[in-house]
Amino acid sequence: MEALNAFSVSLQAVWNDSGFSAFTVGNGIMILVGLILLYMAFVKEFEPLLLGPIAFGCILANFPNTGFFGEEMNVMKAINYGITYEIFPPLIFLGIGAMTDFSPLLARPSTLLLGAAAQIGVFVALGGAMLVGFNVHEAAAIGIIGGADGPTSIYLSTKLAPHLLGAIAVAAYSYMSLVPMIQPPIMKLMTTQAEREIVMKDLRQVTKFELIVFPIVATIFISLLLPPIAALLGCLMLGNLFRESGVTDRLSDTAQNALINIVTIFLGTGTGMTMNAESFLRTDTLLIIGLGLVAFMGGTAGGLIFGKIMCKMTGGAINPLIGSAGVSAVPMAARVSQLVGMKSKPGNYLLMHAMGPNVAGVIGTAVAAGTMLAMLK
Amino acid sequence: MRKALQITFEVIFFMEHSPVTTNPLIIMMINMTVVFIVLVSLMFLIKLIHMVDPTKKPEVPEPVEEEEPLVAVKSESAPAPAPEPVEQGVSPEIIAAISAAISAYGFSGQVRAVRILNHEGTPWRASAKFNNLQRK
Repeated sequence: MEALNAFSVSLQAVWNDSGFSAFTVGNGIMILVGLILLYMAFVKEFEPLLLGPIAFGCILANFPNTGFFGEEMNVMKAINYGITYEIFPPLIFLGIGAMTDFSPLLARPSTLLLGAAAQIGVFVALGGAMLVGFNVHEAAAIGIIGGADGPTSIYLSTKLAPHLLGAIAVAAYSYMSLVPMIQPPIMKLMTTQAEREIVMKDLRQVTKFELIVFPIVATIFISLLLPPIAALLGCLMLGNLFRESGVTDRLSDTAQNALINIVTIFLGTGTGMTMNAESFLRTDTLLIIGLGLVAFMGGTAGGLIFGKIMCKMTGGAINPLIGSAGVSAVPMAARVSQLVGMKSKPGNYLLMHAMGPNVAGVIGTAVAAGTMLAMLK
Repeated sequence: MRKALQITFEVIFFMEHSPVTTNPLIIMMINMTVVFIVLVSLMFLIKLIHMVDPTKKPEVPEPVEEEEPLVAVKSESAPAPAPEPVEQGVSPEIIAAISAAISAYGFSGQVRAVRILNHEGTPWRASAKFNNLQRK
């Protein structure tokens, strides 16, 4: 009899400690969302490197009684600290810097203007977010989705609206993977056939001196002007310096391979872990996803309009299609410019020209984030 | 407008920290102004770096990129095309390899011409072409 009692009590304890006892409909829906995101990542290959860990983190976050965010330290809590204390986004930027070739930008610095113009999408979405009832901090974090820069979106939303981090990250990475579908119709609508057929002059060769001095000068200038983004920009430029110096190949290799891969796993999983049912299953999430699309479309349109202006001002030397690459999404947006250009005129290679505004967009988004932090924090 | 300019100045020089405004239009104007100022400044810094670059070569008129003349090639249908005599520039072995590669991808027919594209010194151009090949 005693054994039966002990068995029953133990069974009761196991049940009470299990996730099933506290499992809610919301948890079920979020696990389903996680599975859909996994399908998008691994079957449809939409940004699988990031969406995969985000989706799995979302599933993990919706198991009750795991104690992930309790008092005791555990691996999930440690990963979450990396996001809360803004450690991962700058480390991702270190790897991005090591993979970035600034030579198209240095060869034609005027393309920086396209990177600036494309940031208009950020502020269109910000205005839209405030119109539908988000406060200014939340609106700024939502707007930065239009910058098409995942780490910067996570960085800013951690600082301004941490409760929206999951929705913002999912929207940002989903739309980044949908760039080849979102941008071409807007590009065709806003440019003429003659404009799309413009063949741009080859870029000049950039010297090693320029490639090494630029990241140093840019870091000093931007960090002094906008200290809140010194960590992001500093890491981006340090990674680039590893690449260009020619004497730190091992560091460059680590930054652009092992380090960025490890941090991507942590950043994705940690972001997914913020997607619990209580914070994600709200109408706000749908609004954020809708506003993210507005931001992307606005940014694309802004870059194209400025591309058309530059085309007129240079007497047709600039193909306006490269303007849409001003939204960051490196190198996807530049590839889309190339693809649309090639469809209009076979043999018209725009990739190298579009990489200028593309990397300028990364800097532009970081600057926009820094300015908003300076204004709103 | 004056208010926007004043706030822009305050943001740039960090004279004030708390939320300086919650008007989305003013936020947009200020931010776009700052983004343009920073990126235009970067543009001038890049030009300055280029100007003071001690390693730069004196600028010479850009040579016109010439593509090799079309080399007429006739080869029999895949998979085993017999290399025909070709004109200068492309060896029969290369023609055979190209024909075999095309047939390996399941295309049948005749290779009518091979054009050598000159993209020396422009890795981005090569990358653009490679990118297109991957998409097809």
